[in-house]
Amino acid sequence: MKERFRRSMAGLAAITLALGGVSAPLMAQNAPAPAGPTPNGPTDAQLMDDANSTGDVLTYGMGPRAQRFSPLTQINAENVGKLVPAFAASLGGEKQRGQESQPLVYDGTIYVTGSYSRLFAFDARTGEQKWKYEARLPDGIMPCCDVVNRGAAIYGDKIIFATLDARLVALNRHTGKVVWNKQIADYQAGYSATAAPLIVHGMVITGNSGGEFGIVGAVEARDVNTGELIWHRPVVEGNMGTLRGKDNGITGKLNATWEGDQWKTGGGATWLGGTYDPDTNLLYFGTGNPAPWNSHLRKGDNLYTASTLAIDPDTGVIKWHFQTTPHDGWDFDGVNEFIPFDATINGKPMKLGAKADRNGYFFVLDRTNGKFISASRFVMKTTWAEGFTKDGKPIVIPAGRPGDPAAAAKGPSVFSSPSFLGGKNWMPMAYNQGTGLFYVPSNDWGMDIWNEPISYKKGAAFLGAGFTIKPIAEDHIGALRAMDPKTGKIVWEYKNKAPLWGGVLTTAGNLVFTGTPEGYLKAFDAKTGQELWKFQTGSGVVGSPVTWEQDGEQYVAVMSGWGGAVPLWGGEVAKSFKDINQGGSLWVFKMPKG
Amino acid sequence: MQDRRAFVMQALAFAALGMGPVAAQAAPLAKVKALGVLRVAVYKDNRPWSWRQDGKLLGIDADLGAALARALGVHVDLAELMPGDDVEADLRNGVWKGGLLGFQPADVMLHVPFDRGFAARVDQVAIVAPYYRESFQFACAKGQIDCNAAPSQYKGRKLAVEIDSIPDSYLLGTGGGVLARDILHFPMGFDAAAALADGKADGVFASKAQVESALALRKPANIALRSMPMPGFMSTGWDIGMAVKENSRNLGDAIEGLLDAMVKSGELKEIFARYGVTWTPALAA
Repeated sequence: MKERFRRSMAGLAAITLALGGVSAPLMAQNAPAPAGPTPNGPTDAQLMDDANSTGDVLTYGMGPRAQRFSPLTQINAENVGKLVPAFAASLGGEKQRGQESQPLVYDGTIYVTGSYSRLFAFDARTGEQKWKYEARLPDGIMPCCDVVNRGAAIYGDKIIFATLDARLVALNRHTGKVVWNKQIADYQAGYSATAAPLIVHGMVITGNSGGEFGIVGAVEARDVNTGELIWHRPVVEGNMGTLRGKDNGITGKLNATWEGDQWKTGGGATWLGGTYDPDTNLLYFGTGNPAPWNSHLRKGDNLYTASTLAIDPDTGVIKWHFQTTPHDGWDFDGVNEFIPFDATINGKPMKLGAKADRNGYFFVLDRTNGKFISASRFVMKTTWAEGFTKDGKPIVIPAGRPGDPAAAAKGPSVFSSPSFLGGKNWMPMAYNQGTGLFYVPSNDWGMDIWNEPISYKKGAAFLGAGFTIKPIAEDHIGALRAMDPKTGKIVWEYKNKAPLWGGVLTTAGNLVFTGTPEGYLKAFDAKTGQELWKFQTGSGVVGSPVTWEQDGEQYVAVMSGWGGAVPLWGGEVAKSFKDINQGGSLWVFKMPKG
Repeated sequence: MQDRRAFVMQALAFAALGMGPVAAQAAPLAKVKALGVLRVAVYKDNRPWSWRQDGKLLGIDADLGAALARALGVHVDLAELMPGDDVEADLRNGVWKGGLLGFQPADVMLHVPFDRGFAARVDQVAIVAPYYRESFQFACAKGQIDCNAAPSQYKGRKLAVEIDSIPDSYLLGTGGGVLARDILHFPMGFDAAAALADGKADGVFASKAQVESALALRKPANIALRSMPMPGFMSTGWDIGMAVKENSRNLGDAIEGLLDAMVKSGELKEIFARYGVTWTPALAA
């Protein structure tokens, strides 16, 4: 099916470990030498403390755990109705399309990436452009799913982001001049990169995303100062990892869950990047679905595709895995963010993590060992499974598995929900430490899928599947849902006509922010879901909002610019967004003075 | 979509002034002649049709594109196209719209399946000039296996295929998966066929052109071609043609005329023979 569709939304993540900080991280004995204090900019320790430092936004996810939670309360459920724009800044030019970025804020500057692999520095007080960097992209790239980028990483005097031609570019954050520029994969082989980097222990840690077939998902660490590779960890069992140029053990066990040589091309791209938890000193990366798409041709669980992996940031060794969709046959990538949080379950305080999966289930795991705690449905309907056993195995509905294209010329059509675009796609959820709730941007849709007798690919006959995505409810596709991770219950939901495709922000001011394709940035009461405020930005909002404090005032910022993968699919779903125009602007809001 | 609308509006404005845009947009015959260039899209990494060797673009499609331009009296501009999810996407990028990152649409794209049902689904292009009948071919090492045996008897033998091709699906599914551990996957069918030629596999199942060209290059002894059809195999072959933009039919007509002449003169056959491939006329030709 649309293999490339999922994979081309590349993944990068870089992580930097806190050396000091409030919660002392468990440092591995063989940790690389700390990069030490970095000149003129954020240090490892500052990145690790980003969730607590309200005067800046230094990381994708507003902290290495990516909870997207701010302790700020100046803007709150009582007064948010008065929120007004402070300024807007256009990305300009003819290059509009989807703006899926999350801004970073540091030292009076807002850094934001734009469509077509651009990076902008705007004055955080006036919105005036300080500089911009436009990657020179080869015209031969054929991005499957729009020309998006999800954000940058900052470290010392550098700002780092990934480009559509699968490069990692480090710029001087004052001037926008290139410090280093490394190819991380071959775009000519169909690789791309769109995820925001994450920095840990002075290393940029990235996922990969790739073309059609023949790829194996991997996570890699590079020196943040030079871009040189430190370790490489394939996520499909049987493939060899490396550490500082030497073999570092194969992933899993050869041929344990794969037949023949299929593990060499097993898929599992890690295109959305990862999160990091200083408490456990673990990286958490999600992996894409296995290849080939036809599940009837690859027996076994196909580890570690459609999984969440915990990885030692210092060596790239996998510490545990949990597979959310064993033997995927529905195109359910497992790339979604795994967000560490702490909660008391059955009277026991636990270190947990949560992930809202493409497959429509919200997973809670023990983040120290990957042990299954619960999986709760967060979408209207799942046709592939009835639920999960206490052991964390899906109760699969056999009739819900798409047929084998090799078995019949034209098989019957199977209705499958969620659609391959997922109960939740790339857009990140948020966790509020005050309410104890996760806020999940989800979509209720399904697809008819059938075997196509013959389709064509690369000019040749090929066995394919036809599919049509369609809504499953009269009144909405998108739904922002508040999930209680302790009970798995949906506490409240906000329904939206068009599919939701933007990230979520939540604050101690009892607020939840998210954008809609209809062009609104909206604020909701975090406890009740009541809509409290909205502002029309002029184009669809598919970026992730942030908040910070500057000169004693709290600000909120979000990118506006409709695009991403959704507009590429027609049919009934397209009716919900046919009148939405493109754009490309940063919007910044604050409370009126006086 | 705004980009596309702007593009169309610009094209209309130029048309109203009676002048063609200088940028290489898909253009009907007169415009191709006026510009002196025929832009031909071919697939990237598609040996023996179009691939790079020592930096040079080679292959049947590359040579055919050059021959068509020569016959039109213009220069050829060969544009390598990275394949997308399916040929519909390739036609969008290569012929009627262009790539998101500036890839200019070609005047004509080669190696497009010539199939009525498919053509009906892609109404932004006209698919013309069928020039070859492609099919899948099984070849094997003589003495190692019986090339005409039921494939389930190949258990334990190394069988080379292009990943995710119809032969791959067929062999993986044969006998409930008895061969699944024996299949060697290659990114391109040509490489799979070369593996047989190099003694690294006992059999290959790939397109006829891939098998023939790899064997012609390596010239291995002891290779047999299967003459019996594979039981229950899903493809009897397909015709390959060319695509022009829907409004460029006069260019398509001219190309069909040139192709006819190349068939009659033997030039087409000779182009195929350069790469070791026996030219087989399209069924629809």
